[in-house]
Amino acid sequence: MNSEILIAKLFIKTAFKNKAVFILTLFIGLLLIYAAFSGWTNFKYQNDMKVKYQEQSRKDWLSNPDKHPHRMAHYGNFAFRSKAPLSVFDFGMESFFGNSIYLEAHKQNTTNFSEAGFSTGMLRFGEISIAMILQVLLPLLIFFLGFSSIASERENGTLKILLSQGLSWKQLILGKSYGLIGVVMTIFIPVMITISLIWITIQGENITVEETLRLLLIIISYFVYLSIFCVIAVLISAISKTSKTALTSLIGLWLMLTIVLPRATQALGKAIYSTPSKVKFESDIDADVVKVGDSHNPDDPYYKSLKDSLLATYKVDSVKKLPFNYGGFQMKEGEKISANIYQKHQKELWNIYYKQNSFSKILAFVNPYMAIKNLSMALSSTDFSSYTEFQEQAEAYRYHVSQEMNELQMKYISNNAKSSAGKSNIIDKKHWEDMHDFQYKPSGIGKVFSNELISILAFLFWIGLLFFLIRLLSKNLKAI
Amino acid sequence: MITLILKNFLRSNSVKIGVLFLLLSGIISLFVGKQFMAKQKQSVAETAQYQQKHIADNVKNHKDEMGLLLYYLKFSLVNNTLPINALSIGQRDVNPSIQSVTIRGLEAQKYDADLNNPYNLLLGNIDFSFVLIFLFPLIIIAFTYNIISEEKESGTWKIVVIQSRSPFSFIFQLFSVRFLVVLLVLFVTLFMGCIFLAIPLDSAFLTYLLVSILYILFWFGVCFWVASLHKSSNFNAVILLSIWIFLIIILPASINNFLVNKYPTPEALETTLKQRKGYHEKWDTDKQATVDKFFAHYPQFKKFKMPEGDFNWLWYYAMQQMGDDESAKQSKELREKLDKRNELSANIAQFIPTLHLQIQLNEIAKSGLTNQLLFLDEVTYFHEKNRLYFYPKIFSEAPVSSEKWEKFKVQTFTEESSLNYTKIFFPLMVFIGIFIGLGYMNFRIKKS
Repeated sequence: MNSEILIAKLFIKTAFKNKAVFILTLFIGLLLIYAAFSGWTNFKYQNDMKVKYQEQSRKDWLSNPDKHPHRMAHYGNFAFRSKAPLSVFDFGMESFFGNSIYLEAHKQNTTNFSEAGFSTGMLRFGEISIAMILQVLLPLLIFFLGFSSIASERENGTLKILLSQGLSWKQLILGKSYGLIGVVMTIFIPVMITISLIWITIQGENITVEETLRLLLIIISYFVYLSIFCVIAVLISAISKTSKTALTSLIGLWLMLTIVLPRATQALGKAIYSTPSKVKFESDIDADVVKVGDSHNPDDPYYKSLKDSLLATYKVDSVKKLPFNYGGFQMKEGEKISANIYQKHQKELWNIYYKQNSFSKILAFVNPYMAIKNLSMALSSTDFSSYTEFQEQAEAYRYHVSQEMNELQMKYISNNAKSSAGKSNIIDKKHWEDMHDFQYKPSGIGKVFSNELISILAFLFWIGLLFFLIRLLSKNLKAI
Repeated sequence: MITLILKNFLRSNSVKIGVLFLLLSGIISLFVGKQFMAKQKQSVAETAQYQQKHIADNVKNHKDEMGLLLYYLKFSLVNNTLPINALSIGQRDVNPSIQSVTIRGLEAQKYDADLNNPYNLLLGNIDFSFVLIFLFPLIIIAFTYNIISEEKESGTWKIVVIQSRSPFSFIFQLFSVRFLVVLLVLFVTLFMGCIFLAIPLDSAFLTYLLVSILYILFWFGVCFWVASLHKSSNFNAVILLSIWIFLIIILPASINNFLVNKYPTPEALETTLKQRKGYHEKWDTDKQATVDKFFAHYPQFKKFKMPEGDFNWLWYYAMQQMGDDESAKQSKELREKLDKRNELSANIAQFIPTLHLQIQLNEIAKSGLTNQLLFLDEVTYFHEKNRLYFYPKIFSEAPVSSEKWEKFKVQTFTEESSLNYTKIFFPLMVFIGIFIGLGYMNFRIKKS
């Protein structure tokens, strides 16, 4: 144990003497500061906007006078997506999510105004977030720091001396890895302190156990991720004849893991599972709705039999004599049918997306970059499932409001009403206030575990694999 | 001499792997482009089919009321996807290439998003522009980073200096051979693309080709300059990769963050809120006042008198119109904001060749923000045209049967704007000049 610590200390000491390392570290440090700053600015601005417009929308809703409830159902509401606290750290897919949905009766609108929709080609190069620097740039820095760790000892001939002095290969590899991890910690620890401070400032007094757990898991998983790269660097250096081959192999590996493979696998998923076009998606829903019953067709058999059974139940000969508003009832029925069909199709579509993404998830076993990318997005609530959850909740709210308005119509509007105007066809505006505003409730951390089980298993796999490789190589490596 | 250099260069295994890697990723990118084009084509075909059925169905269901029929009818406008788009998909995967609008309020429909898997968008396409911008430089770096340093490290450099009449022309030949090989890969890939994707050999394609060559030349310039510093292979590798990361990842991403924070778009949300209020509150205000405002916008319809009763279509469409009219200011501001964003990003990009290339390739392929904004303008125009066509028919209560509904086919918008060649080529030429000039000077100094 002692000799490993000694080697680690020596490694750290020489690393800090290297001017290039100092410049690179400084540069990455500056970049991190910029990332934190711009992430925070954006977070604050977006959430302030969201609050402002959500309030404005609410104010507009409440400002409506006495009205026919169906008019209110069409007046509708807005759901604006807010950012989770840790999205400051990892932007994830947020720029590609829409930011607002208009929620009205009978119609499921698209989630509009994504950052990407208004972007120039620039966004395709990525965004600078703290997570991105830790995921992409830090591994490269690790490779730059570690490529010569053992290879240069071999080139200098000092490797033979070390080993002949009784040091084992295992001690050497572990020692160098600890040293490399130690150097990386000089960046990692301040970054994690900074992000924790920002995280505390953002949340003020409302820090929950849940959020704390998320932050802790982020710290742990990034520590594991970076350590994996440290060990990889040392192992590649150990098996390389010269430091030059070690460097080129590591650079090649880095490019493969962070630039080429992620895109290639996602492209594969996209090529295999094709998605319907928007018009196909919408017309399929229309067709399915009409199959059940076409509310626009006065002779539609479904609505006719519905009417007949109502008349029979209430023992009346005309819908006008029903004890509730028939129009409201019909719309309630229609809304139920169309909402169910829409949800079925939406689920199917998301299922295709899920399958497309499954390649990138499984890839985590080959590529630790994908493991951290997926896990980090999930912990920061900027992943695919956060998006579908927002849409699901918005749709649930839309459905709730529409049906609430239909109920009001059934209850208060006379069957003799000919239109939505006129004194007898409107209800008191106090009902608008009874309708609570849309409130997004993020799902618990339990969902992260179930969604990202693969990523977590991949991490465990990588830890096991590296320990196995250290043992294996310790027995087989040669000093020359 | 040069054939010898070429033979020697091509003998190396790593060169073969590099060339193969580029060709392979190029071919993959062509397939990605092909798939994208097929999906676009399918969407357009499905839209055309749907529109026909949709109009026929609604005409059947609402044969008595023009106003009610037009409440439902959707008309689609397609943003034409040129074949060359397959080589630079740009923003076309994010933004819908088809926009379907009724004649009701436009602002509530104009920005309707396409269905998208955000993960696909996040990781991006492997289109040819990606291969060119990201991967070509890597191979160029791999081919050239040790041109001189390797000879020095193996001790053969001295022999070269002594034996050749001019070491500089020797270096020049080493670079030329590599440049020609990479150029050949580019030509082969694009030639395959031309056939496979049915891209016409027009000025857009030639511009694409030319700007690609300049980009490759730019990276050779950078490598040439680094070689002229006479450092070790390891140093060259690190410095060149750092330049690559800086130009491909760090600078573009930082500038993107900067632009997003500098030009945020709250106007978008403002517009939707305004239009909702503008339209809906008219249900509870004086009918005549609304219709008067409508007549003020369209004096040509003054001749139509508002019918009596609780509801009439003139009033209804006047209300819808008010949603657009009252959010017009915000909508215009949004458009201006996006123009500013677009302009500033193109201007900044002139100084960053990677960004410049991406933006210009998108311009050439008509797949960038410029195209998207022009398409949105066209959607506005298209919507207005439909409105003006149907308004008098609705207000005069023309019978539904008086219209030839089959003639309402899907319309197509093709961006006609011409390219600014100076803006495309000049920035790259300047950078090429700078790096080759600096490299040349370094070699001269070293010699004397």
